[in-house]
Amino acid sequence: MSRFYNSMDEEKFKKELEELKKEKDEYLAGWQRARADFINYKKEEMERIGGLIEYSQAGFLLKLLPLLDTVEYAERIIPPDMKEDKNVQGFLQIGNQLREFLKSQGVQELKAEQEKFNPEFHEAVGEVEGEKQGTVEEVVEKGYLLRGKLLRPAKVKVIK
Amino acid sequence: MPKIVGIDLGTTLSEIAVMEGGAAKVLENREGARTTPSVVAVSKNGEILVGIQARRQQITNPQNTIFQVKRLIGRRYTDAEVQRDKKLLPYEIKEAEDGGVEVKMGEKWYKPLEISAMVLRKLKQDAEEKLGEKITEAIITVPAYFDDSQRKATKSAGEIAGFEVKRVLNEPTAAALAYGLDKQKNERIIVYDFGGGTFDISILEVSKDTIEVKGTGGDTHLGGEDFDQKVMDWIIAEFQKDQGIDLSKDPLALQRLKETAEKAKVELSTALETEINLPFITSDASGPRHLLYKLTRAQLEGLVREYIDRSLELVKQTLKEANVTPQDINEVVLVGGQTRMPAMQEAVKQLFNKEPNKSLNPDEVVAMGAAIQAGILQGDVRDVLLLDVTPLSLGIETLGGVNTVLIQKNTTIPTAKSQVFSTAADNQTSVEVHVVQGERPMAEGNKSLGRFVLEGIAPAPRGVPQVEVSFDIDANGILSVTAKDKATGKSQSIRIEGSTGLSKEEVERLKKEAELHEEEDKKKHEFIETRNNADTLLYTAEKTFKDMAEKIPADMKKEVEDKVEALKKVKDSGTMEAVKEAVEQLSQALQKIGSQLYQQGEQKGGESSEQDKSQG
Repeated sequence: MSRFYNSMDEEKFKKELEELKKEKDEYLAGWQRARADFINYKKEEMERIGGLIEYSQAGFLLKLLPLLDTVEYAERIIPPDMKEDKNVQGFLQIGNQLREFLKSQGVQELKAEQEKFNPEFHEAVGEVEGEKQGTVEEVVEKGYLLRGKLLRPAKVKVIK
Repeated sequence: MPKIVGIDLGTTLSEIAVMEGGAAKVLENREGARTTPSVVAVSKNGEILVGIQARRQQITNPQNTIFQVKRLIGRRYTDAEVQRDKKLLPYEIKEAEDGGVEVKMGEKWYKPLEISAMVLRKLKQDAEEKLGEKITEAIITVPAYFDDSQRKATKSAGEIAGFEVKRVLNEPTAAALAYGLDKQKNERIIVYDFGGGTFDISILEVSKDTIEVKGTGGDTHLGGEDFDQKVMDWIIAEFQKDQGIDLSKDPLALQRLKETAEKAKVELSTALETEINLPFITSDASGPRHLLYKLTRAQLEGLVREYIDRSLELVKQTLKEANVTPQDINEVVLVGGQTRMPAMQEAVKQLFNKEPNKSLNPDEVVAMGAAIQAGILQGDVRDVLLLDVTPLSLGIETLGGVNTVLIQKNTTIPTAKSQVFSTAADNQTSVEVHVVQGERPMAEGNKSLGRFVLEGIAPAPRGVPQVEVSFDIDANGILSVTAKDKATGKSQSIRIEGSTGLSKEEVERLKKEAELHEEEDKKKHEFIETRNNADTLLYTAEKTFKDMAEKIPADMKKEVEDKVEALKKVKDSGTMEAVKEAVEQLSQALQKIGSQLYQQGEQKGGESSEQDKSQG
């Protein structure tokens, strides 16, 4: 009789052990997965933060560009004789300061004039008569690259 | 398993989103933008352009640039809408053999769904690049008023783009899903979607497992762009009045104005006033002209009031058609960038007498909802191991009754944190650890969870012994707090069950109390800190006296002793200002002694003093 019970117990323990082993494996796997998830998450997060810094810098520089645009509008509009004036010269020199600052941040001016119109870098705002069809005739607002990537497309007029 | 994406295929802009880590996330395209213009073109050299590039060349190529094709998808040529839009769209539109619509782009005629497919394909490719894996399945949203033919056409567009379209989902339903409103039962929801060029109203009814559309309305030609135009017209009129120059005749000036007008409108959603500043906007014989105006939020609201009023009229009309009154509506959801305008939010709130749902980005909420629907289909929700958070902060009481938090509220558990503390008095041999829970800065305002004493700390001056206090909460919310003297290794601990098991009401009450007492607690906390500072300073003064008795000149000694007495007098009974003042006085007197001692050292020290200086 006692033997019978023993084997029953053994069976029961074996079964329980099996179950516990299975459970243990499951938990260990879950734990390892969670650790791995966390490490991966940290890596991704670092990358994301790097991207975010770049993105927020680009956003900031983009907001700064209209200031330079205005100076350049002024450069275009002020008549040459007025540009001889020292006061005017001083103000226009602010433009150079801005250009230098942008350059130091990795901002590079896009060449557009007389290039073939390319919507990857140019935004057409008008058309003009001319000889070489599809060529940029006039840059209305300069475009810029930030470390080789497009920061702002150039606004251009294209030959019809 | 490849992810199912959610796509908001819009009239002017489209977006793609995916579930990541249990939350919906909008993906950036190849150009780094979260939205992709729904524009397709064949360039003059026969290349097909999609998105922002198509838009950039639109002006030079209007006949071959197809935009707002959503207005035509799945429609019959004879539909009144097609006939009306035909007059507004610059590209060629004709009747197809099957009675549908075809548009001309380059030398070829395309079905609108083929154009949409090109937009969807770009979204797919860019998303695959971003995620680094193939995407095959998608959920695409459409307006609630789309009929069967429009839905079928949208689905076909998805299939042409290479997707298996798991579902065509209503845009307002997606927005409701993004806000989790599908869980409510027997609720009526109104979705007010004011986009760039279209205004859609949808009334939804949520019942068990289904969201049903009870009514739709709106205006397919009313949107945020109309607001920009109003601002632009205003600037042009003002300039004409002041300067006598018509800027609308100057294409270059118009270009600058357009961007500035939109920027001003956006700014006035958060600011009460904005400056429209465009130097050298134009010039005439008399020289350059500058444009500088202030536009206030109230002025802007005056300019666009008619549009807001019109939208409300349309809402009322839609409610009426659906036999619903504003009181029957349980939830209001705002969609579309223009709904960021406070006056619009206020108008909607007034009508329904209810705070609208507006916490999510209104430009992205539809795509996010589509991604959430995808997550539900994919069973993402089921796989998530639910982890609890601590609803309130856990900390211990430190000198002066301050609650020093070790585990911040909303920390996911299981978690552990430890911090080293020290004694407050010389030769202190025991410390009491009082564990508290709550957001009040003083221990006494919080819930006391338990306390214990760690004894047998070796006698030492205050601040020298190191007692490490560790908090550990396991997955079941059981908190163990252990204090251990690092010198002797002696430790003592306590186990507190149910530290996270507070009832919802209790958590709310404790949070509310913290809010209610914020000001007064802050003051009290500051006072205690001032007193603690005073204690430290007194201790330093006494120690300095003991250690350096012979080196301090008598007059200085007297001065410090007076200041010490003065501080002692006010420390426990005086106002905070009095204590602060006395602390300041004493610390100045001590500094004098300090520099005196330093000078003495310098006279003796010779060469090394130069180095000392540079370190100090």
